Order: sequence, then structure tokens, then C-alpha cells
Amino acid sequence: MSTVNDVIPSRFSIGGMSTGQKITILVTILFLAILIFATFTTTGFYSVQNFKAIINAASLVGIIAVGMTYIVISGNLFSLSVGTTAAVCALTFMWALRFGLVGGIVITIVFGAVVIGLQGLLVGFTGANPIIVTIAAGALQEAVAIWISGGVSVYPPDNGPSFAFLASPLFGIPFPVYVFVAAVILGEIFIKKSRFGRGLYLMGESPRAGRTAGLPITRLTTGAFVVAGVCAAIAGILIGAFNQSGTMTASGTLTVDSISAVLVGGTAVIGGRGSVVRTAIGAIVIASISDLLLLRGYSTPVQLLVLGVIVTVVVILSYLNSERAGRS
Amino acid sequence: MSAQARMKPRFSANEQKWPIFLMIGLVILTFAIPPLFHHSSSAFTIYNALQNTATLGLVALGLGLTMVVGEFDLSIAGTYALGGMVAVKLGTGNPLVGILAGVGVCVVFGLIQGLIIAKLKINSMALTLGGYLVALGLTGTIGDNKSQSFSNYDIGIALNQPIATLFSIRIFIGIAVFLAVFLLMNLTNLGRGMRATGGGRRASRTAGVRVDAIVIGTFGASAGLAALGGIIQAYCTATATSNPGLFPLIFAVTACLLGGVGLAGGRGGAFGIACGALTIALLAELFSTVAAPQYVSGLFTGLLLIVVTTAASPYVIRKWRERRIDKSLKLENKVLVTSDSSSKS
Amino acid sequence: MSETLRLETQGITKTYGHLHALNDASFDLRVGEVHALLGHNGAGKSTLVKILSGVVHPDAGSVRIDGEEVSPRNPRHAQDLGVALVDQELSLVPVLTVEENLRLGSRRAVSSADLRTLLDTLGLEHVKLTTLTGSLPIGEQQLVEIARALSRDAKIIILDEPTATLSEPEIERVFAAVRRLAAQGKSVIYVSHRLGEVLTLCQRATVFRDGKVVGTKNVADLDRAGIVEMMLGHLPEFRTGSEVRTPETPQHISIRGLAIPPRVPTFDLEVRGGVIVGLAGQVGCGASEVLRALAGLVPNSRGDVELGGVKLSLGSAVKSRAAGVFFSPSDRKEEGLFLTHSIVDNLVATRLPRVSRGGFIQKSMQEAVVSKLLGLTGIARERRELDVGVLSGGNQQKVLVARGIDQTDSKVLLFDEPARGVDVGGRADIHDLIRGAAEQGNVVIFHSTDLDEVFDLADVIVTMFAGRLVSVRTRAEATPAGVLTDMTHGEGEVSA
Repeated sequence: MSTVNDVIPSRFSIGGMSTGQKITILVTILFLAILIFATFTTTGFYSVQNFKAIINAASLVGIIAVGMTYIVISGNLFSLSVGTTAAVCALTFMWALRFGLVGGIVITIVFGAVVIGLQGLLVGFTGANPIIVTIAAGALQEAVAIWISGGVSVYPPDNGPSFAFLASPLFGIPFPVYVFVAAVILGEIFIKKSRFGRGLYLMGESPRAGRTAGLPITRLTTGAFVVAGVCAAIAGILIGAFNQSGTMTASGTLTVDSISAVLVGGTAVIGGRGSVVRTAIGAIVIASISDLLLLRGYSTPVQLLVLGVIVTVVVILSYLNSERAGRS
Repeated sequence: MSAQARMKPRFSANEQKWPIFLMIGLVILTFAIPPLFHHSSSAFTIYNALQNTATLGLVALGLGLTMVVGEFDLSIAGTYALGGMVAVKLGTGNPLVGILAGVGVCVVFGLIQGLIIAKLKINSMALTLGGYLVALGLTGTIGDNKSQSFSNYDIGIALNQPIATLFSIRIFIGIAVFLAVFLLMNLTNLGRGMRATGGGRRASRTAGVRVDAIVIGTFGASAGLAALGGIIQAYCTATATSNPGLFPLIFAVTACLLGGVGLAGGRGGAFGIACGALTIALLAELFSTVAAPQYVSGLFTGLLLIVVTTAASPYVIRKWRERRIDKSLKLENKVLVTSDSSSKS
Repeated sequence: MSETLRLETQGITKTYGHLHALNDASFDLRVGEVHALLGHNGAGKSTLVKILSGVVHPDAGSVRIDGEEVSPRNPRHAQDLGVALVDQELSLVPVLTVEENLRLGSRRAVSSADLRTLLDTLGLEHVKLTTLTGSLPIGEQQLVEIARALSRDAKIIILDEPTATLSEPEIERVFAAVRRLAAQGKSVIYVSHRLGEVLTLCQRATVFRDGKVVGTKNVADLDRAGIVEMMLGHLPEFRTGSEVRTPETPQHISIRGLAIPPRVPTFDLEVRGGVIVGLAGQVGCGASEVLRALAGLVPNSRGDVELGGVKLSLGSAVKSRAAGVFFSPSDRKEEGLFLTHSIVDNLVATRLPRVSRGGFIQKSMQEAVVSKLLGLTGIARERRELDVGVLSGGNQQKVLVARGIDQTDSKVLLFDEPARGVDVGGRADIHDLIRGAAEQGNVVIFHSTDLDEVFDLADVIVTMFAGRLVSVRTRAEATPAGVLTDMTHGEGEVSA
């Protein structure tokens, strides 16, 4: 019998849980406890108005994060310029409104899909480092946007179609929230049920095994980035509609917020595991924390600091839980 | 370790040669191109490029060292800002105290990151993204979310004061740091250990190299170097910014890749990074000399980074290696034929 | 015995669970001797090598070096005791120079001039100390590794299959180096599958079988037939007479002039569906590369390969897969299975198009495929959602093999070491799975270094040696001794 025990890895012998899993649960409980305590001691947190603000903030970040989830699960770490693309898409949308509302939306979505999809093609085909490629692409997009727009805000055409409904509440709930919910549901079904999604999960767990099994690595990687592009474009449209103009400064912290949402949701940073629904929860958690800190009077840098600490802790936990942690 | 066991500097094998040609080429371009646009470069252009290399170049050097050991420190854009902010806050009375405090804080920061990466075998890009946010958050918190001015103008003036037209104390500091790292990597076992760690971690461990210590130390060094760059920049401009954006990182990655430091690890060194940094600094000067709009420079930076990243990608490297194997196979056959005939004679 | 003993082991025993990797092994090594260790995979010679080099600790038995009892704690301690191992897999850092690799991790101070002399004595006069190690041909890298072992002033040098990946001129250089070492009074342990090399180079040979030492003989008293007999022992019971499979629509593959640089210069073979072809050869014989090239996993392979008259374009795994080629790799953990995914996910990973319609996975289609495969492999249905990583090695291997069979679109099935690390029962199951696939008309080609497996599974046995095809025999014609002879020294062997 001793030989049988030898074969079973230790992570299954300690009450069905590894040390990594225990630490994760502990940290999660601790974190939630702090969060709940803070919500009760912060005046103004429990109000309909504030919940609307949180869910609204979570929506824009969440939509981008849905796309980011695809990239992370595909094993390509993350993109460091989806926020920039979202801002560029807001500009594009304002400009493209001259082709009508539907035309504007379609053009913007195609534009976003192509811009980020091309980065995916490069990463998938050559194996170039996704983080550096996306940083470079971000710098490039910013430069092109300033070149074309002349560095000023882009406004919709004077006699263009009305797009006010994109930014106004429907049945008392802001429109982006509906889009967010739809993106999460569609995103989750697509990655869980489609052949493409299955391929992404497998490739993310082991690109080598994926190649040997005959999975189309380049196509899958490009696809993951295209989904991210579509999501960034949709977020861009909503941002543009809300501001009634497009500016490059709109990108703000969208990129890091969306990465944080994916990681806090528990999607593995090394790929192969995770889900869109988890990301949605992550986005709401991130938005709640930002909201809490804001209500308690902390500045943006403190929010950044807290975000950084959370991301670091989550990345470490994700490795402690990983079966591949021991492998070099 | 006896003196005999040490290596003589064997610079040719450790580093690629093309970065220096690239740099020389750019110097020529810096003078050749502006006349086409009815502008002209002067010694001041070179001075400016050197000035930038002395600060952002140090950030590149820090990142480059982590790339040599096969890792990647995204947080340098954060420690660059953090170092400058701490120094400006604490160095008003005595600038040296500011430098020590800024570098010290960041070295500790880097060592902690290195410790986590080495011991838990975490992907360094993922972990240092968190580190980047933390450093940036700390900077903003210390600096009250805005730029902080440094009241000691004298130090900046002294650092920037041109010496022999082309140089300044700031530039000399930069050269000294690069030289120190170069000598450390080439005259001691350290460079060999670092490149071994990056080029074959398992083989190095079996051969008895202290891989973990090297990784941890390198992250400490990278954070310290980025901080030093940020501090000098802050002193010279008499301001510390709360958020410098990703530009220092973009500059650093491009400089390293142009300087022959691969993403796979094990290759490159201080000299190549210096050449790479100077190349980009010259490029920026070239654009400003011909009075090109800001976006042209941005466009070029982005394109250049995409091109060099692709050139450093596994696919391109493999294609290149396959060509080399084909060539060496042919060469080998030739050698065999000649050695056969010579042994018979 | 008049000669002095450098190394002596007595009664070494090492068990893994219930398995005796080494049982009461005694062996001795003289000063200035080149001593061969021979035996099948798993016969026990690698375990002995690992014990001597400090990687593994024996359960019982003693090791004496120059008469003094020692127990190597770790590779570094073994180094201090004067034992140096040149591993089968290179352990040099390719981006370092030759000199840097020679010095890597060394605590001795050696001058550059001494290192230079060392390389010269190994026939590496033309290799500069400043050359990047990765730019040297594999054979010269192997010599550099030998030089590193020597620079540590080792008395006992263990070469573990040093020639497996080398070309003939490179092998000659290794031989010359080994002879010089012996002449200087060093003792060399030479582990090899290649009998010709052993006969040429070694003075004595110790043969292992099933974890035991069969005997030590002077090579001068041995010939190939004699060694083969010692290695085989009693002949295992092989299947006699092959059941003739006559599938209704047999597939057909024709391979002409397949070149895989630098390992395989050219390879030709024609196979009809329903016949199981076994490529028999030792590590580095090129069979693995042939299978990988057919699977599209070697980017720079060239040649004419036709499947039922349709040309297969090499170099793309996706294209090979689409053309009906399925490959099961030898390393199931690193590139075979998706360890943190369920058995179900793994079983359908290679047939996603078949279980989906309109881009979406159809539960019912997946269910049909999975339950059939689970039935074939005998893995309990309740375990289907378990991560593959938690299964035993045998079951993991079954999942990997099952992934390749029962594909409606498959034409060619390639298996690299289909039963690696699997016990006897599991092996029989896996072989049945593969036979079933052949019955459906598929072309089946597998590679194994294990003679028993080759004889158990193959209808046609193709032997390979040093990148070349040596012989093609039906199982009825083949004898174990004949196949072993072919796969251990081949026809174009270096004679010295």
C-alpha cells in the first residue's frame, strides 16, 4: 500500500487540500472580512446611489476585462494597451458617427478587433513577447491618434445620429450595465461551449502539448486578441457616448484595472484556468474597493497602491495553487 | 578565488558587436539627415543625447540585467519614479541623503520582488506588474499625487553644467555606473554566473552556480539603478513626477533589445545596453533637431519596439539558427575533407 | 588479481516501491581501464551510474574508491571524491563561452593555459576558448563536457551514452579521447547500447539484466553474439504467427527521401494500413525524429510523403493533423497531456472539430466519443472529470494513446514509445488499443527502444541506427538477436 501513497502527490493528501489552497482560502476570508468591515464603517457606502456608481464603474472596466480574460486564459499573460485602444475607439466612434449609428458602431468594433487582433497575430505567429508587443502597440496607437486628431478632442458630427441612449439609464439602470451583463453572459458561454474556447483553455495550459495535439496556435492566439479588441471597442463606444466626445486621456487606468479584475477573479495568470464570470466578480470587487477608498477620502495613488498589493498577492496565490509551480 | 581563476575580459564573445555599429550609424545620421530638412546638428545634440542616456540609460541598464538572467522587471518604470520622489522629499538639505534614501528604498523593494520570483518561481512579468503598481502608488502617495519641486536648484545646475562641450557631471556619473557594471560583469565571476543563470538555469544549478542569489541580487540592482536614474533626472529638472507613464519602460526595453540583450536570457551586457540607449537617445535628438512633431517620435518609438521585439521572437531566432546550422553543416563537411587530405599527405 | 582496483561496489541494492531497480549488484573498475556497462533499458545500469554520481542513494551495499569506503551525497560531493559524470543530456550553458562553461561552478583554480592544453588533448585544437558553446556541433559540445569532467581532476569518468547523438567522425574523436584517458591511468565507465563501440573500445564489460549483474567478462573473449546472448538471457515468450488484418479500406503512406537535419540524412518507407510497423532503435537512432517530422513537428524537415496518393506538406502540425496524421509523443507530461484538464478534455483535444457543430462543442457528440474511448481503455466512467495529472502513469499513457485512436478521419497513427513507464498489464491494454486501430485500416507506425515491446506489437520490424534505416523484416522472419544486433551497431558502423 505504501507504493500507492508514494504516487499520490502531497497536495491531495492534506485533507484534500494543498497548502496553497489553504492559504488562498485564508487570504480570501481575511480580505472579505476587511472589505465587509470597511463597508459598514464607511458612511454613504450603503446607498442606492453608491451601488449604482459602483456597478457603473465596474461595467466599463468589466467589459474590457471580459476580453482580457480570453488573453490571460490563452496563456499570453496580458495586454498592456487595451485601455489605450478603448480610448482610440471612442475617438473612432465619434468620427464614424457620420456613417450613422449602426455604421459607427460596426466600424468601431471592426477597428478595435483589427488593431488588437493584429497584435495577436504577431504574438501567435512569431511567439513574440505579448507584453512588449502590446506596450509598443499602445505607444503606436497613441501617436497615430494624436497625429490624426491633432491632439484635440473629437466631437460627433453636428447633424449626426443621436446616441444619447448609450449613456442614459434604462429602467433606472445605466445602459453600460446591460452591455456588461450581456458581455459576461456571451463571453462565458462562448469560452466554455465553443470549440475555440476549448482550444484556448488547452493551449493556455500547455502550448507545447497544444501544438503536438494539432491545435491551431496562431489562429487561437489571434482569436483571443480579437475578442479583447471587440470588448475594448464596445467599452470605447460607451466611453465616447458618455463623454459625448473622444479624447486620449479617457484611457486612464482602464488597462491595469481590467488586468486586476481578471486576476482578482481568480483566473490563473499562467493561463489555462479561469472564467469570464470570475472576472465579472473581480471587476465588481475592484470597483467596490476604489469606491470605498474614495468615500474614505483616499487619493488615486492610494487606490493604485492597494490595487498593486492585491495584484501581487493574487499572482503569488495563483502560483502557490499551480500544479506547474514546481516546474522550471 | 585566486586571481588565476578569474576571467580576462572577453568582451567579444560576451556581447554582440552590432550595437556599436548601430550607434555609430546613428551618430552619422544625426549629422547627415537634418541638413536635408534645412536644420543642423551640433555638439549640443550629442550632449543632449548623452544627458538622456545618463538617466534613462540607467533604467535600461537595470532592466537589461534582469533580462540577462532570463527575467524581466516591468516595475522599473515605478522604481524610477519612486526613487526620484523619495530623494526630492528627503534630499532638500543634503542631496546625498536623498540619493542614499531613494536608492536604498528601491533596492529593498527590488530584493523583495527578486526573493518572491526566485523562491516561488513566479513569472517575473506578472509579479513585477504588481510591483509597478505598488511603486507608482507609493510615489503618488508620498508626492501627494502631483509633481514635487526640489528647492535645491544648485545641485541640478552643477550636474548639468557642460564640461568640454560634450560632457557634464551627470554624464560622468552615467559613464561611471555603466563602467562599474561592465567591469563587475567582466572581471569577476558574477557576469558568468548571471549569463549562465539566464542561458541555462538547470545546467547552472547542477554546476553549482548560486542561481537564486543571483536572481534576487539582480532585481535589487535593477531597482537601484532605475531609482538612481530617476533621482538624477529629478535633481536635474528640480522636479519629481508622480507618474512618468510607460515611457521610461519603452525606452529601456528598446535600448536593451537594440543593445543585444535577448529576451531568452544569457546574452548581452553593459556595453551593448549603453550603445542601445545612446542609439535611441540620438534618435530622439534627431527628431527634435528636424523639429518633427511629437507624434512622429512616438510613432517611430512604437514601430521600432515592435520591430525589435519581433526580431527577438522565438520564430525569427529559430529561422536564423536553422540557416546557421545549414551553413555550419556545409562548413563541417569541408573541414572534414581538408583534414582527411592533410592527414594523408 | 594483479591490477589495482580504483572502484569497487558490493551488494548494491536499490528499490523503488516493490520494484528492484538494482539487486545485489557488485562490480569493480581497474586503474586505466575502459569498462562497459551493458543492458536493456531498465536493466539497472543507469541506477548504478546515478548512485556513483551522487544523484541517488542506495538502500544497501558499499562503494569503495581506492580501497576507501565512500557514499556520494550529491553530485558536488561525488565530484570531490573524483567521480565525474558526463550525462547523456548535455549540461552546458549554450550562451556561455567554452572557457566559461569549463569553469562554471568549479572551485578549483585552473589557468587558461591548462584549459587550452586540456582541449587540445581532446582533439579540440581548433576550438577557441572564447567560442560560444552553443555554436559548436553537438559532438564537440560533448567533448567540451568531457573536458569539464577532466578539469575537475576526476579519477573515474562515467560516460553515459556519449555517442547516442553523434556523427561518425565525432564518435572517433570521443574514442580517441577515451583511449588517451585510459593511457593516463584514468578509469572510464562507458555506458552504451552500441555493441560495436564496446568491442572496439572497452577492455571489460559488465552486463545487467532485470536489475541484476549477469556477469563481467573480458571483451577479448566476447563477440557480438555472445553479448547479445548475455543481454537477452532466456528468450521471452513472443507471440508467434501474426493474425493477418485485412481491413476493408486500408490507408497507405509512402515516405521518400525524408531528411531531418542534422539527425536523419534520408529515410524511405512504404506502409499499408492494417500493418503495424515498429521502428526499433536506441536513443538517438532517429526514429523519434521520423515520427515527429511526419507529425509536422520538425520545421526544417524535407521529403516526399504521400498519404493515399495525396502529398503531405511537412512542417505544420495543424496540416498534418488535418491530413489525418495523429501523433502521440513520448513525453506525456511535457508535451503529451494537459495535466490540469479532465480526462474528457484530454480525450477530445485532438478531435475538437469532430465533437462540435457550428463552432460549438456538442455534449452528445462528445459523450458518444468519450464513453466509447473510456470503454476501450477500461478507465472507470466516474473518473472522467478527474484531472489527468492525478492518474497513475499507466492510466495517463492509456489516455494519451486513446486520444489517437478511433478517429473517423485518421489515416496514420504514430506512437513514440507507446508504453513508456507502464507496467506489464497496462502495456498489454495499450497494445490492444493500437491493434484495434490498425484493424480499422489505419497505418500504424511506432517507435520503441524496448525489444520486448517491438516483438509484441509490430507486424513488421524496421531497425534504425545512427539516423539510418538498417533492415526491414516481418516478425516471422525476425529474431531478437538479429534485431538487437541491427539496432546496436548497424551496417555502416565505424570499424577501428
